[in-house]
This record gives sequence, C-alpha cells and structure tokens, in this order.
Amino acid sequence: MIAEQPPGPAGQAGWRTGWQAGWRVWWRHSPARLVLATALLGAACLIWAAAPPGSAGPAGPALVTLGACGLAGSVVRLALAGLPRPDTAGYPGPLTRLAAWALDLLRRLPWAEATVLAVLALEALHPARAWHTALLGVALTGYLLAVHLAESSSGRGESAALLWSQAPVLAAGLGLLVLAAGSALLPGAGTGPAGAGLRAAAAVAALLACALAAPV
Amino acid sequence: MPEHPPGAPAPATELSLSWSVSSHARRLLTLAVAALAIAIGTGRPEFAGLAAPAVLLLAAGRRARPAQVQVTAGLTASRLVEGERAAVTLAVRGADGYSVHLVLRPAFAIVPLPGPGGQRPGHAAGRDAALPFTVRRWGRRRTGSAEIIVRDRWRLAEGRAVLGLPGLDCYPRPAVQQTRVVLSRLPQRLGEHTARAAGEGAEFGGVREYVPGDRQRSINWPATTRRGRLQVNTFQAERSQDVIILVDAAWDEGEPGDSVVDRALRGAAGAARAYLAARDRVGFISYRSQARWLVPGLGQRHYYRIAEAMLAVERDRSYDPGFARLPRAALPPGALILVFSPLADPRLVETLRDLRQRGFAVLIVDVQAGDPWLGRGRTARLAHRLWRMEHQAIRFSLRELGVPVVQWDGQQSLDLPLAPFARRALVTRR
Repeated sequence: MIAEQPPGPAGQAGWRTGWQAGWRVWWRHSPARLVLATALLGAACLIWAAAPPGSAGPAGPALVTLGACGLAGSVVRLALAGLPRPDTAGYPGPLTRLAAWALDLLRRLPWAEATVLAVLALEALHPARAWHTALLGVALTGYLLAVHLAESSSGRGESAALLWSQAPVLAAGLGLLVLAAGSALLPGAGTGPAGAGLRAAAAVAALLACALAAPV
Repeated sequence: MPEHPPGAPAPATELSLSWSVSSHARRLLTLAVAALAIAIGTGRPEFAGLAAPAVLLLAAGRRARPAQVQVTAGLTASRLVEGERAAVTLAVRGADGYSVHLVLRPAFAIVPLPGPGGQRPGHAAGRDAALPFTVRRWGRRRTGSAEIIVRDRWRLAEGRAVLGLPGLDCYPRPAVQQTRVVLSRLPQRLGEHTARAAGEGAEFGGVREYVPGDRQRSINWPATTRRGRLQVNTFQAERSQDVIILVDAAWDEGEPGDSVVDRALRGAAGAARAYLAARDRVGFISYRSQARWLVPGLGQRHYYRIAEAMLAVERDRSYDPGFARLPRAALPPGALILVFSPLADPRLVETLRDLRQRGFAVLIVDVQAGDPWLGRGRTARLAHRLWRMEHQAIRFSLRELGVPVVQWDGQQSLDLPLAPFARRALVTRR
C-alpha cells in the first residue's frame, strides 16, 4: 500500500526535491549543456578579441558581425542537430521545401570556421599583447573542442572519455602556447635572425598541419 | 542486394571506405593555418603558439586506417502493415579501435523512429545496431540505404561507405470492421451465417410436431407437456457466402498516405479480414486501367494472397479502353459484391450497373471523402459544382437501380456506414 504524501510544507518540500532531482538528471544528460558551453566560449572569444571597441580599426565592426553570425549559426546548428530533415519526397509544399533548404544550408555552411577567422583577424588587428593572445588561444581551442563534443558525443561519459584521451596532447600544445607567449614578451622578439627563424618554423608548421589533415 | 528471409544469417558485404577530413579536423586546420599565417605575416610568435594545440592534435591523431569493412545488413521483417514497427539490423566488422556511426537514409514513405535510450531517429552508434523505422504507405518499398561512418579515436578523419538495404512489402492497414453484411439468399455451403432455411445450426428456429425420424434430443418437453403431443425444436441452417471485394484504383486524388486509393485498399483489407474470419469465401478484383482478379478462397493464407494482389495495383500501368464487363470467372453466382470506389470512372459505373442487372447484390462504399482539389478561383468553383452534381447524379442513378451507396472517410470504423445493412440480411431482387 502506498502511503499518501502528507499535505503542507513537508509535501511541498518533497515535490521540490523531486523536481530538482529530475531537472538535475535532465541537465546532466542533455546536449543543451554542451551547446550552452559552446555559446558561452564563442561569445567570450569574440568579446575578448574585440575589446576594447574600436581598436581593430575600420574592419572591426565587419569582423565582429562575421564572428557573431558564425557563432549564432554554429549554436543554432548544434541546437537543431536532432531535428529530422523535412520529407521532400513526392510533392512537398513551398514551406516544406524552404524548411529543408534552410536546414541543409545551416548544416553545410562552416559557421565555426567563420568565427575562428573573425576572432583571429580581430586579435591580429590589435596592438601586440602576447598574454592576451595566449588566453585567447586557450579559449579558442576550448570553443572548438566544445563544438566537437556537442556535435559528436551522445552522452556525458563519452564526452569525458573523448576529452581525457586528448589531454596529454592538449597539455603539450598549451605548453608550447605558453612558451610562444613567453618568447613574445622578451624584448626584441620577432626581429633579427631569431625572428626570421621563428617565421620559418611557423611556415614549416603550417605546411605540416595541412599535410597532417590530408586524408589517407 | 538479394533478399533473404528475416532471421536467417545474411551474407556480409565488403565495402570500401572513402576517408575524408572530419569537420572537427577542418576547424582545427582553419585555426592552425590562419594563426600560423598571421604569425608569419605580423612576426608575432604568440600566434604560432596559438596554433600549437591544433597542430599537435592533428599530428597525434594520425594513424593507419582500414580501407574496407564487412557489413551485414538485414530487416527484422520483410512484410509488414502500414504503421507497424520494423528495424534495419547492421553489423560492422573490420573497424576495431574505431568508433562506428550508422545513419539510415530512408527511401520514400520510410519514416525512421527513435531508438532505445533516446537514440535519434535514423542514427545509431556501435558496431551492431538496429535502426527502427515504420512505413507510412503501402506498396513494394525500397528501404533506402545505410551510411556507415567510421571515425578514428579523436574523430579527425571519417571513413564513409553506403550500403543499399533490402526492400520490403508493406500491406495496407486494414480498416476496423466487426460486423458483416449478409445476403438473404446464401449458397448451400456450411458456414457461420444464420440462413432463413431450417437446418442443423445452433440458432433456434421454432417448434413443430414430432414426425418419425426426428432426433429424440430435439424434443421440446415443456411444449410437449402443454400440447399433449410430442413437439420438437427446429433450428436454422448456418451457411457461408461468397464475397467479392472490388477496389477501384482508376482515379486517385489526395496526399500520398491518405489518398482515395489508400482509403479504398484499407477498407478492402478490413472487409477481407472480417469476412475471412467468418469463414466466407472472399475474392478480390482490382480495377485500375484493366481488371485483375483473384478467385474466391478461404483462410488466413488467402488474406495474404489478397494483400499481395493489392500491392500489384501500384504496378498496374496498362490501359484497357475496352473494359466494360467483369469476367464471369471472377464472379460466383449469388455473391455479395462490395465495391470501394470514388465513383469517378464512368466505365466502372457502367460495369456496376451491368452487375446489378445480372442479379448480383452490389454494395458501394464511396471513398471520396470530400471535393477533389480543382484549383482556386471562379472557374474552379464552377468545376466543383459540376463535379458535385455529376457525383450526385451517379449516386442517384445507382440507388434507383437498387445499389446502395454509403460514404466512408477512411478514418472511422467501416461498421458505421455499413450498419443499416449489417443489422438484417440484405435482400437481393432481380
């Protein structure tokens, strides 16, 4: 026999506890967490690169708009990832065709890449400040990882496992980032033979990155 | 892909994987190349450092990738009814150490369903997976194709392969029908319908005086006591009937899945099931551009013969301008003819008149639920009026001949429109 919940404050407290527990379970397993993290990280990158306003020159507003559009598109794409494409077989109506076309466009365009390019351009237009760029690098890498996890992981455990397996490489990359920022803070960096060598190394690294990303 | 019975082990198919950069790798590459280009262009080493995590991830994620995988695909059911749930089963081998994602690319009328554990419709993860789906419309259907996506441990590269899936037969969903229309004159064949004639059935007919030869167990003792002479109970005979279901698929109108032909076939399937359950012999005639028929038969197996004949309606593209009379072989004498038609083809209307004149009991279920789509505007309104008047004239002329016409919208039970004829035996007059 099920005991009836006593009315009054005790019953209300029980209901609230149950509601909170349900909300917590939903939040833990919902992809909305990762989508929200992506939006926050992307917005942080954009604001960090654009601040103070006007320092990026006349191209600043255009780059901020591009970055914001990319971020919005990226977040909407992730939020609508589970939405099935409208069935256009047979003779669909104009609204169905428009919805299918818009969804295809949303899924095809490189929104996150646009954000990355806009943020980097904004940062490059600012006066030299190495620590600022290093922090932006950390946030930008975090943003890309958040986008990746939001679009590919199906559960909390999977996200953690995927991130954990990449942790040593990420740590090494962040170490290099700190070293690069530290070298930039040294007086006279980027000039003379050391600067030329650094540029050559950067060019080799760019070619290496392209080669590594190429398919088998 | 050749079909094989469900449950039997399907042969594995060797598929070549087409590898490409994943969207994640593309984003990392964009970050790395753009940051390095800025570092070279501006001489700021911190940008080279910004590219470092992305370059290292791209470098460390690279490893030898399998060129091929073995995929076994099957269906949990190769025959099903509209709206029933089935699943595509897929087993992928030869991709150890890689994550496998399976996507169902459905063909027309195939609707992917969410899987267990909140699995997205048409998507599944793992080397052995089932992708549930349902079929929205009857017919011989292609299921579509399955896309196999193999990703490396950091999901920087994706190998893709596409596998064609086996087809399936989807039968029309039978309409609900519990009651049956029974003729007043039934053939001399044992069945379940109570006939007017006296016989050996279970239905009580009356009491009469005992004659030598009557069974002692049928003596009605209370009546015998009252009248002082031996009285016996009489019973009514139980007979079966022949039912011919005629589906008019010559003219179709409406959204796929709820068109006139869809309604006609669902109604016909419901009627066939109801009459076969009552041990009646049921025949089937489909009429599209020419008539195709199935001789009357009994039992569950015959229901599937009728369902197969229904699927053939979709393929019938031939045209027979000389069609006027239904063949004698398809029409047993004294059969009840149940017609599912929108009454739009004048040749069929003439055929129905001919059937009535030949003495058959004909009952028409009009499956045209509303006015057909004829456009907008003044001309369309005029066309609608003309269409309505013509339709009413056809129905009136059929009623004048003694052919009842009932309307059915395809949603409600068939018992409702047929109720006036199911309450008592349908009397046929020549």
